Amino acid sequence: MATAMELRCWGGDWGLPSVHAESLIVLAYANFSGAKVTVSPIDWTWKTLTATVPELLCGDSAVQEPKQILNFLRKQRFNADYELSAREGADTMAYIALIEEKLRPALLHTFWLDAENYASVTRPWFASRSPFPLNFVVPSRHANAALSRILLTKGEAPLHRITEVEGKIYSDAKECLNLLSYRLGSANYFFGSSPTSLDAFVFGFVAPLYKSSLPSSSLQSHLRHLDNITRFCDNILALYFSPPPPVQETMDANLQKLTQLVNKESNLIEKMDDNLRSSPQHKPHRPDPKPSLASEKSSTPA
Amino acid sequence: GHCVCAYLFLTLTAAEPWPETATLYQPLKEDQILLSDCASSLAVQAYLRMCGLPVRVACKANAEFMSPSGKIPFIQVGNQVVSELGPIVQFTKAKGHSLSEGLDDVQRAEMKAYMELLNNMLLTAELYIQWCDDATAAEISRPRYSSPYSWPLSTLLAYQKQWEVRRKMNAIGWGGKSLEQVYEDVSQCCQALSQRLGTQPYFFNKQPTELDALVFGHLFTILTTRLTSTELAERIKSYSNLLSFCRRIEQTYFEDKGS
Repeated sequence: MATAMELRCWGGDWGLPSVHAESLIVLAYANFSGAKVTVSPIDWTWKTLTATVPELLCGDSAVQEPKQILNFLRKQRFNADYELSAREGADTMAYIALIEEKLRPALLHTFWLDAENYASVTRPWFASRSPFPLNFVVPSRHANAALSRILLTKGEAPLHRITEVEGKIYSDAKECLNLLSYRLGSANYFFGSSPTSLDAFVFGFVAPLYKSSLPSSSLQSHLRHLDNITRFCDNILALYFSPPPPVQETMDANLQKLTQLVNKESNLIEKMDDNLRSSPQHKPHRPDPKPSLASEKSSTPA
Repeated sequence: GHCVCAYLFLTLTAAEPWPETATLYQPLKEDQILLSDCASSLAVQAYLRMCGLPVRVACKANAEFMSPSGKIPFIQVGNQVVSELGPIVQFTKAKGHSLSEGLDDVQRAEMKAYMELLNNMLLTAELYIQWCDDATAAEISRPRYSSPYSWPLSTLLAYQKQWEVRRKMNAIGWGGKSLEQVYEDVSQCCQALSQRLGTQPYFFNKQPTELDALVFGHLFTILTTRLTSTELAERIKSYSNLLSFCRRIEQTYFEDKGS
């Protein structure tokens, strides 16, 4: 029988099951292919520094990198690409290469190197998910890795300066989003009526850009004009990631606590009100006691 | 003589026609150029021939350092200098020469995707074999790369280049790959190209595009270059439609000029 599989990844936020593109690819593919994967977020542990994310643990083997993990899942007979023709399989490889070469550098730049986004979104998020004292180390390590990756792959020898490549990587990325939008057209998925690897890659890279609230991003505003791609992301979130991801559950828990608190408070106020009313200074002019706002029976729907 | 500093005047004057004096620069053909640069240069030459644009090939020992982006090859047209296939395609388009005009949006997306597949896998594999396989680096790449220079500059430049490529491989996650895994990637890439080509003469049937030029440049160079091992060429030889594709482009665009 299949051994239990555990996936280590960055946790969710912004209405996504993970804010990390590579983790999101694997999560999406696992859901598409029906693989039962136990998700263990590395948040708030020392693994934020030591682990390579995402990582799939299955028995004795540990697999890293989205492509390798997807291959591994296919070998375990969790294959979302089963119905693709050889030609469609070739197209899948080509479009994934297109995304890696043209879209990924600009995404790395948007989240890790754009000063405003980094300071107000990315660094606070990753710092708050890393235990002290790693919160000082983890975000800047990612930012450095992103910088050197962009410079080494897109930079031009001999100077290798980031300002020289910024314009080019953003125009490449916008073109790539346009090409993906043309290719998707009005369909729900890239091939046929069910999602495949390519859908997982597009979703993984595009959804964080779509859902995060970045203070400055021309790429994000460009994406928001491509209705079919944003609809594609919303559709996958609705169909493959509901019941809502863990983030929303914790929000629900908070909400519950809050209602409990409000209930207590309102009971208290009611009592005080009663006391006041029954005090001789005030004549009761409105004798109807309101039913408590959130008594347990009325708040739960039938 | 040509002006090395011509790239300073990179103002696009699109209206000017293609001059007879257009020149393509690459490293010395016999004892310097490496497989990956040779492939990129052949791809550009094939593209320009498909467009019917004449270009003179000039071999310069310092071509890499003359190029505005440090990449091989680059072309000089009038007083403008452009390097690499992508920008050269845009440049010729601005002058009214294009091979992909007839494609619709979805086909153009597909063409770009396959071009990136080639860059992402085949070109990276070529660089890996040249600089990260110790035997190839020691016997072929370092000696050839540094051949125009005298010691100690030759050693210094060769190791500097090797270090740069290895850093790049580490950054994209290829640092830990074995040679066997790289050959496997090459096979996968060729299989995808072979599937996409099928029985058509060119990737988009009757008319060649820049994708055909790029694929031809790389496959033909790999098939005709001697390395320490023949494994790389062997991987391509198992796809017969890719072989006849290379022969077709060679016969159509290169052979009449050779005679």
